[in-house]
Amino acid sequence: MAAAFDYRQAEEIRDVFARFGIRYLFIGKSGAILLGFPDTTQDADLFADKSPENCSALIAALRDLGFTLTDEQASEILRGKDFVQLKTGPFDLDLIFAPDGIERFDDAWQRRVEVEHFPVCHPDDIIASKEAANRAKDRESLPRLRAFRDYWKKRR
Amino acid sequence: MDQQPTLSERQQWLEEFEAAARRPLAQRVKYAFIKTYKPVLDDAEFRAFDTMADYRAWCEANLPEWLGYGR
Repeated sequence: MAAAFDYRQAEEIRDVFARFGIRYLFIGKSGAILLGFPDTTQDADLFADKSPENCSALIAALRDLGFTLTDEQASEILRGKDFVQLKTGPFDLDLIFAPDGIERFDDAWQRRVEVEHFPVCHPDDIIASKEAANRAKDRESLPRLRAFRDYWKKRR
Repeated sequence: MDQQPTLSERQQWLEEFEAAARRPLAQRVKYAFIKTYKPVLDDAEFRAFDTMADYRAWCEANLPEWLGYGR
């Protein structure tokens, strides 16, 4: 089991993905935390553009970050899966290509928020995806997350 | 339906948001990410699902309910 995700690793994702030209956004609670939401989570969740060019570059970037991907695993990412769970690298990563509640990557990209050069989903999109997923853990976190969204909007 | 927070909960959250806003990003990240073993979920190095519906169905069928991945 990889150690907990840390800020240096977040910076590595940001810098390596920028170098490889990856279109992605931090989403879920990890995205909310980058926006300032005080809470805890276990993994980094990334919403990536599903285009073949982006997925191809993403595989190269992940390998550069230290993830071990077999050719078969890489081809699964290239084939356009909606969800990939990776525990083959220096930290755990969930790659989400079609999050519940968000129609298209381009829409979320247009609404994105940059936090110290980290591309993050807008809190409305983070909330929309959690509302649509509607898991027990989402229902538990949503009231506080909505309150944070309101606070965040007032501060901007 | 989500439970509505009380006024006192909302006030406490606001204080937490204000306190977090005073911390630098690196410090917020440091205290936000934790690692504990999640049964089943952490037992494979790689999983890929064609659709989010497939992933949700797999979670509901395979993960312990207390992890909170069920609907």
